[in-house]
Amino acid sequence: MIKLLANALFMSTPLILGACGEVVAERTGMMVTAVEGIFLFGAWGGFVGAYFTKSLLLGFLAAIACGVLVALLYAVTTIHMQQNQVVMGTAVNILMTGICEFFYRVIFGTPLEPLTVKPLPVLPVPLLADIPVLGTILFRQNLITYLTWILVPAVLFLLYKTSLGLTLRSTGENPEAVDVAGIRVNRVRLLAVLFAGILGGIAGAYYSIGDIGMYTTSIISGRGWIAFAICFLGNWNPLLALGAGVVFGTSDAVGVYVKSLGSGFFPSELFTALPYILTILLTVVRRRFNAPAKLGTAYVKEH
Amino acid sequence: MTRKTRAAEAFLSTFLAITAGLLLSFAFLPFMGIHPLSSLGLLFSSMFSDRYTIGTIFVKAAPLILTALSFAIAYRSNLFNIGAQGQFYIGAICAVSVTLGLQNRIPAFLVILLAGLAGSLGGGAVGALIGLLKAKYHANEFLVSMMSTYVIAELMDYLLRTFLREKAKDYLQTDSIDPSAWLPVIVGKTSVHLGVVLAVAAALLVWVLLFKTQAGFRIRAVGLNAEAARMCGIRPETQCILTLFISGLLAGFAGFIEVNGMQHMLITGLDADVGSYGIGIAILGSANPIGILFASVLFGALKTGGTTLGQVSNVPASIIDLMEGFVMIFVLISYFVRHKISLSKTKRLLGKAVKHD
Amino acid sequence: MDQPVIEMLHITKKFSKVVANDDVSLSIGKGEVVALLGENGAGKSTIMKILYGLYRADEGVIRVDGVPCRIGSSRDAIRLGISMIQQNFSLVPAHTVTENIILGNCRGLIDYRRKEREIAALAETYGFDVPAGELVRNLTVGAQQKVEILKALYLNARVLIMDEPTAVLTPQETDRLMEFVRQYVQKGNSVVFITHKMREVMDVSTRIVIMRGGRICGAVKKEDADETALSRMMIGHSLEHLTKPAGGAEEKPVGFSVRNLSIRRKSEPPLLEDISFDIHKGEIIGFAGVSGNGQQELCEAICGARPVTDGSVVLDGRDITHLSIRRHIESGIGYVVSDRLRYGMVMNLSIAENLLLKESYGPKWRKHGLLDRKRLNRYAEEVIRRYSVKAPDPSVPGWSLSGGNQQKIVVAREVEAGKKMILFDQPTRGLDLGAIHYVHKTILEEKAKGKCILLVSTELSEIFTLSDRIVVLYRGKIAGIYKPSEVDAGKIGLLMSGYRNGEEKR
Repeated sequence: MIKLLANALFMSTPLILGACGEVVAERTGMMVTAVEGIFLFGAWGGFVGAYFTKSLLLGFLAAIACGVLVALLYAVTTIHMQQNQVVMGTAVNILMTGICEFFYRVIFGTPLEPLTVKPLPVLPVPLLADIPVLGTILFRQNLITYLTWILVPAVLFLLYKTSLGLTLRSTGENPEAVDVAGIRVNRVRLLAVLFAGILGGIAGAYYSIGDIGMYTTSIISGRGWIAFAICFLGNWNPLLALGAGVVFGTSDAVGVYVKSLGSGFFPSELFTALPYILTILLTVVRRRFNAPAKLGTAYVKEH
Repeated sequence: MTRKTRAAEAFLSTFLAITAGLLLSFAFLPFMGIHPLSSLGLLFSSMFSDRYTIGTIFVKAAPLILTALSFAIAYRSNLFNIGAQGQFYIGAICAVSVTLGLQNRIPAFLVILLAGLAGSLGGGAVGALIGLLKAKYHANEFLVSMMSTYVIAELMDYLLRTFLREKAKDYLQTDSIDPSAWLPVIVGKTSVHLGVVLAVAAALLVWVLLFKTQAGFRIRAVGLNAEAARMCGIRPETQCILTLFISGLLAGFAGFIEVNGMQHMLITGLDADVGSYGIGIAILGSANPIGILFASVLFGALKTGGTTLGQVSNVPASIIDLMEGFVMIFVLISYFVRHKISLSKTKRLLGKAVKHD
Repeated sequence: MDQPVIEMLHITKKFSKVVANDDVSLSIGKGEVVALLGENGAGKSTIMKILYGLYRADEGVIRVDGVPCRIGSSRDAIRLGISMIQQNFSLVPAHTVTENIILGNCRGLIDYRRKEREIAALAETYGFDVPAGELVRNLTVGAQQKVEILKALYLNARVLIMDEPTAVLTPQETDRLMEFVRQYVQKGNSVVFITHKMREVMDVSTRIVIMRGGRICGAVKKEDADETALSRMMIGHSLEHLTKPAGGAEEKPVGFSVRNLSIRRKSEPPLLEDISFDIHKGEIIGFAGVSGNGQQELCEAICGARPVTDGSVVLDGRDITHLSIRRHIESGIGYVVSDRLRYGMVMNLSIAENLLLKESYGPKWRKHGLLDRKRLNRYAEEVIRRYSVKAPDPSVPGWSLSGGNQQKIVVAREVEAGKKMILFDQPTRGLDLGAIHYVHKTILEEKAKGKCILLVSTELSEIFTLSDRIVVLYRGKIAGIYKPSEVDAGKIGLLMSGYRNGEEKR
């Protein structure tokens, strides 16, 4: 049970990371529907980087670069070329599937055995890790997880206590007001999407070099979308997103656990499907949203 | 500018974008130590090498036509049904269940008819449900349809593991359906089955529906301005459910033709990318059924060629994903470029008119 | 005169569809209130948006205090002490007053409590009653405008541009605004007032600049101005008077009646309360009032677009109160909406398809179950000809037309749909004169055909020229029903602003 909970937190980290990036971007009115592609390219870049440099740090840096690259492509086409965000995201995601698979072949050929790197080690926090139960759950995690826990309140602080946060929030609500105040709307949006790219890249790499230590084509399979959904369910608030992320991480961990039991007619698939069902139910049940008013719409001004 | 020149311009720019996307993808081949031109040649020659392969192009295109139509018709109504994959699975599950349950008990054509009906209605029901959630609870159809695919994939795996599992219990798949319930092959020495014709017919029907009927007009009007449509007596909520029903129906029908026409059984992960390819193709075809027909054949050809290319050389099959991604992005960019050009053109004309004043 | 604060020289600005400013030169002096007067589309807002850095001029120079400046964004303008209040305000409804005011004008960490105090103090010095911590969406329009003004004051603006500031205000609020403007310029600041209303111009401005068709066509000191001359300059020619066919409508039978109609909401004042009136066949009834007093809600209720709490709507002896919009259309009601972009047209559909909108269920354009495109196109061509719409053919999309031509299409459609009754909600708002003339002519033609006509307008002159009877709506209630001969504009104006006079009741 304790192990399961610890694992749940472990699994929730990338989801929360991705969701935080998504929150920041969506607050400016940009749905990052390319999140799946960002995760995937991050996972790919992280693995390639870590494999060749033998350094996880460089691996994660490579993942960040990859995430930013995808985010940049997405941002330029949606913000500056005003293409539909959903359509563009789909296009980018398909492209990234192709690019990752193709260049994996280019770099590694078809290895007979899966290539591996050593994944992120557990980093027990001195003293705190020795607390019974809680210590094992909370303080025997890896570095990225700890950083994520710091990131969440940091983003919250950024959004609600700083001028940058005010600008970000206003951009999603009424870009015209921001424009009139002399701030470039499109630049704010670009930066927010790139931020989502950074976090998404790290999140993707967490799956490859953080968790299993290898790269497969199905490594992300919808996890990016879950991060997207968490942002939605967390009401565009990083703290609530953290909560939603833990719920999803738990069901992810339970799903893995139940599947390992292998059970006849008992629908163990239900647990794997649970996060998705949960998302659907919550979108239906939750009536009051405070979605940014201009979410998903390009800011067009005649010059 | 007349309607014809506008259409010609649109066609030309899309064509250029597709070509650019394909060329860029091939430019990546030297990374694999492969000469792009020779593999391009190989791709074409392998595509049209024999009658059977040419047939395969159309067989592969058929489900793509349907899932692309599924996305396109919803898109025309400003709805994002990106759950065609799930609706495709439901269609396949319904079709295979009906076929396995009824084959050899009632006349074969009736089996096929009922399987087709079950598959379509199954997919349609999922679509209508998503529409209902949207109309009644303002649930985001984009999110719900996406999530529904993952749920349905798990459901399918469960069924394949339990109730629908083959007698041998080796793999996650059903038994083969009886040849009497297969969609008949209509062109000799190929695998081209009746489903191909049905898919093309569906495209034509959707085209007629969208552009030649009042029902289709309502779908488009709601998509372009729901508020104005409401003021003109069209209820966007009703349209939403109806449109997503048709959308799901088309995807479900694709599941049926794949099971009864091509695969002749249901296996786990059947055509796992038919949904996302459908979205790409719908965009290539500007959400126009006729454009979709051409785009589907293009991708059917690329898929077929890519597979054979992978067998005879060491060009990875993933080159096709690369191509589709690039082509999609280039087409989208071409929309922007065209818009920009027409804007600056009118502005320049205006400038001239003022000077002459 | 001293050195002007602002000089704009030979400014030209082209958009993709129009030349908005053509060689415009304009100067603003210290302590001046410049009124920029002109019709819709004359280019008043554009020239000021250029000064404020929202648009970039294609040609021309701007000098501030005699020094040539490049104003590339609003930030540059703000730095030079220029502020502008947009016509539809640019506030974030979901944020507080304080957040709105400091947006873009603060750095790093924000101590919200301190900022709130600062802004409350600033509001007090100008006698503005605006709660600094309140969400903007909970404020009245008048208060929102004060927030916009506070924003400018917070930035220490010395040139304040206001785009149609009184369009949304009640007369009392307008008076208070004018008071503020006087107080503000006395301190050596300047104000530019964009407007198309003559009265305001005479009230507060020191100099009047008239624009027409993107050019400046006159500038006068207030002392030398006279209203008729101004209006002639603004319009380019004097208004020709429409001849209204003789009345006599009241002898005809009643075609439409509303009885005790109310729309109430939970814990908010009712949108409409106890509205009753009749329209005779062939009668035009004009609804006057400041916009936002229930006019749009009334129209929507009559058309079935808004559920009614109480009362009944009867057309030709048939109760249509609770029918769907579709059934309303089928019963023969046409509705020219005030917000054409949002509710009236589908801009990406062709002209022909826009004409089809109200008939999307009916059998009119159906042949063998399919759309009869040929016949529809022929009909659209006829509409284009009959209303002299400037369009090459019926297949061009709605957005490619100018506002006036779009409105002609909408009017044509609604006149066709409204077999028995037509509602015109601000049918001439934002149109050029030619189009206005067409709309007026059409309204009178339809009256002559014996249809019941309901006209909503904020322009009193329009109401007086066209209506057989005038209804004043104030805060969702009828403040009085009169024949045009019985009242004058002054009295209607009083009723519009909520003054009641019981003895005048009839």
